[in-house]
Formats: sequence, structure tokens, C-alpha cells
Amino acid sequence: MSSSNIRVLYIDDEENNLTSFKATFRRQYEIYTANSASEGLKIIQSIDIPIIIADQKMPNITGVEFFKSISKTYPDAMRILLTGYTDIDALADAINHGDIYRYIQKPWSDLELHNAIKNAYDAYCGKIDLRNKVTELEKTNDELNRFIYSISHELRAPLVSVIGIVNLVKLENMYNSSGEYWSLIESCSNKLDYYIQKTLEYYKNNKSTEELTEIDFKNLIDQLVSVHAYTDIDTNFSVNVNQKVVFKGDYFRIEVILGNLISNAIKYQRIDEPSKKVVINVNVDEKLVDISINDNGIGILNEHLEKIFVQFFKSKVHHGSGLGLFIVKEALNKINGHISVSSDTDSGTTFTITIPNAN
Amino acid sequence: MQTRFKRVMLIDDNEIDLKINSKLISLTKLVDEIIICSSGDEALNFLNNQLENKKLIPTFILLDIQMPEMDGFEFLMHYKKLSKSITDNCTIAMLSSTLDFGDIKKAEANPHVIKLLKKPLTTNELLALLG
Repeated sequence: MSSSNIRVLYIDDEENNLTSFKATFRRQYEIYTANSASEGLKIIQSIDIPIIIADQKMPNITGVEFFKSISKTYPDAMRILLTGYTDIDALADAINHGDIYRYIQKPWSDLELHNAIKNAYDAYCGKIDLRNKVTELEKTNDELNRFIYSISHELRAPLVSVIGIVNLVKLENMYNSSGEYWSLIESCSNKLDYYIQKTLEYYKNNKSTEELTEIDFKNLIDQLVSVHAYTDIDTNFSVNVNQKVVFKGDYFRIEVILGNLISNAIKYQRIDEPSKKVVINVNVDEKLVDISINDNGIGILNEHLEKIFVQFFKSKVHHGSGLGLFIVKEALNKINGHISVSSDTDSGTTFTITIPNAN
Repeated sequence: MQTRFKRVMLIDDNEIDLKINSKLISLTKLVDEIIICSSGDEALNFLNNQLENKKLIPTFILLDIQMPEMDGFEFLMHYKKLSKSITDNCTIAMLSSTLDFGDIKKAEANPHVIKLLKKPLTTNELLALLG
């Protein structure tokens, strides 16, 4: 936009001022004038005006009052106040509330006013640019999320068919018919499926808003344990839930959090441990739920403790995906929960989480 | 236990999954007959044709959610308008390869649907539903 296209509205009850303003600035800007606030408002309502200058002292309404009245409906317009006398209180108040951008003393100096308009216009453009950028970014983000979701879905559909075929092979007793090929196909497919499901969890955690439902922790944890422990019959689970009050929270996220922690407690057991065990303690009160998940597994090296919640962090020895605990942390962030961990390579790991009760 | 004739209808646009699931169901030996439909439309046509001759009405339907044109939930909208003589003796389980929380709620809210299952289907789940 060349500067002559910049629209400036000047409101003043003194016609002389309007005329001289027009004479001074008409070459540089597209000038609109009004001799009262109500006339000014009519112009604003019909044309998009980025810069509005108003006189403070007008018969029915002061400049500050006028700016206040339009600051909600036309928040983008840059408002400059002209004032002949120093009405400091009204001015200070208006500036503090962000109702005006600049004030210029009357009689104005052409240069000062010109600079004020120029700066106001720059600030206006910055504001608009920033908003456009934010909208653009939100759109890109949204598209990216939807892309991840549909890709994950499209990838999982045929993969699920592969896993289904492997199941049939097992049922028809052909699993061992080709050396270890079927079991290799199965373990690759399961690994890929795991990544896809984690990606979906991550997407859903980012996307969905918190939805509160009643949660029965005994029920939820029993379900999760049976889902995750079906591949592992050696681990002995001890689940103690003390829930006497109703707990309301985000079911999906809490399920994701506990599911990942329980699955880790099973996955990172010591192979040669004769009594593998996982102890889960839950205590619910009116304010929050306190959950600890303790295992006697391989533990976490001290120098790794700080990094375990970082996306794609994996230890060299035990190949995880680097997603599970990252998703746990992200999900907890969304529902104002906390997690802490204590671990050593002798006795195992304890994760402790707290989640506020929304009931 | 009552040994009622069991006829299962599979509705899925994915040919391979139809093959896998029908094989899996026949391996359980719990079912006498399997009807295969590759779209919701085809299934509705089939059901409507059974109005006179009630011989081939399914007792159980496995319905995929994600299908082009008519998805699982749209199929249910049409299904509930069918004659009670068809729907009264039939239960439905829905299938999906990705479980969306919204889908779970939507499926649970539907009186005809007894369960939403995540693919791949397992024998245990089938036994629980058909046994």
C-alpha cells in the first residue's frame, strides 16, 4: 500500500482544524473528516479505517470517551488523540487502558503529527501481519494434525490385515511351517503397529479438548493390566485402589498415561528375575488422585532420568520407541497432572503421578 | 445351551479383511452360514429382499465403520428403519482399525450395537460374542 492509500479519519468539532488538516495531509494520505463523534462513527462503520485521530474537547463526547466506545468494536484501528489542554487524568487513564496509541498537543506540529500517523500505520500493519501469520500457522498446524491422523489410519488398515493373516496362520497350525519367517513377519508388524498407535495417541492428545467423565480406577487399571499383560504371564500384579469418592477426569488421557506406564513396567522387566512384580497403588480424594507404579525391573540409569520424557530418547541397550513416556508427559501437561520418577538399576523403578480431581 | 441356527453377515469394503474375517469365523465352527457384503448398500438390499422369505436373515452382523459412500454409522441409520422382523433377532458389532473416542461413544449409544471391536478380530472376542 503506498502511503497515499492510507486512510486517516480526523474528528474535530472545529471546522477550521478539519480544513487545515486536510490541506496539510491530503497529498500523503486519503483523508476523511467528521465534525462530530457520531459522524465519525458513521464513516468507520462504512469504510475500513486504520488510523483515527480525534480531538479531546468536543461538545457531546470527549475524544477519550469516543475511543473507549469503539475500542471493542474496532480494535484494530490505531487511535490518536489531539488535545489542546493538558487533561492529564483522562489521558493517563486512556493510555493505561490501551484506548489510545498516541497523544498530540494542539496546536500540532505538522512533522510530529505526520510521524505519529506513520508510526501508527506501521504498528497497524504489524498487528495485522501478526494476526494473519497466527491464522496461517493455526491452519498449517491443523492440516498437519489431520494429515498425521489420516496417514496413521490409512497405514494401520492394511497392517491390521497382515496381523489378521498371521493370526489365521497360527490358527491353522502353519506358524512354524516356514522356519521363523512367520514369527519375523509378526514381530515386524507388531512393531509397526505400535508406532502407528503411539502416533495416533500423540495426535489425539494434541487435538482433543479435555472431556470429563467419572473414572473408576480399579476398573480402568484392571482392564489395562489385562490388555498389556496378555503377552506376559510371568509378571505378578498387585493393584491396590483406595477410592471412596467420585473422581472426574479426562478418560482418554488418563488411559493413555496409565497404559504407557503399565506397558513399560512389563516391558522393562529383568529377564532372569524369578518373581517379576508390578505394584500399583492408587489413592483418590476430593482434590486429586495419587498413583504410583512400581516395578522390580531393570531400572533407569541415573544419567538418563532427566531425558526419559524427551521425544525419541532411547537408551542404547533397551530399544524402546522413544515415544511412550514423551506422550505420558504431554498428556499430563494437558490435564495439569504431574509425574516424578525414582529409579536405580538395583531395585527397579517407581513412577508417581498426580492428577487433579475435576469433580 | 440353545443351539439356534447362526448366520453372520460381514459388511466391509476391504476385500482382504472380508476374506480374513470370514475364514476366522468359519474356523471357530460357531456359525452355520456367512453372508458377505462389500458395502452398506449391498447389505441393505440383501436384508430388504428377505422381507418375504425370512429364511436368510442374519442373527449377527459385523459392520466396518470406515467405508466409502455409506459408512458404518450411516448404515445403522438405515438399518433401524428396517422391519422389526429383521432387526429383532439380530445383534451388531462394529469394527474399526483405529478406535476413535468419539466413535466408541457413538457406537455405545446405539441400541443395536453391542460392541465396538478393534481390528484385527481375535478368536477370543468372537467366542465371547457368538458363543
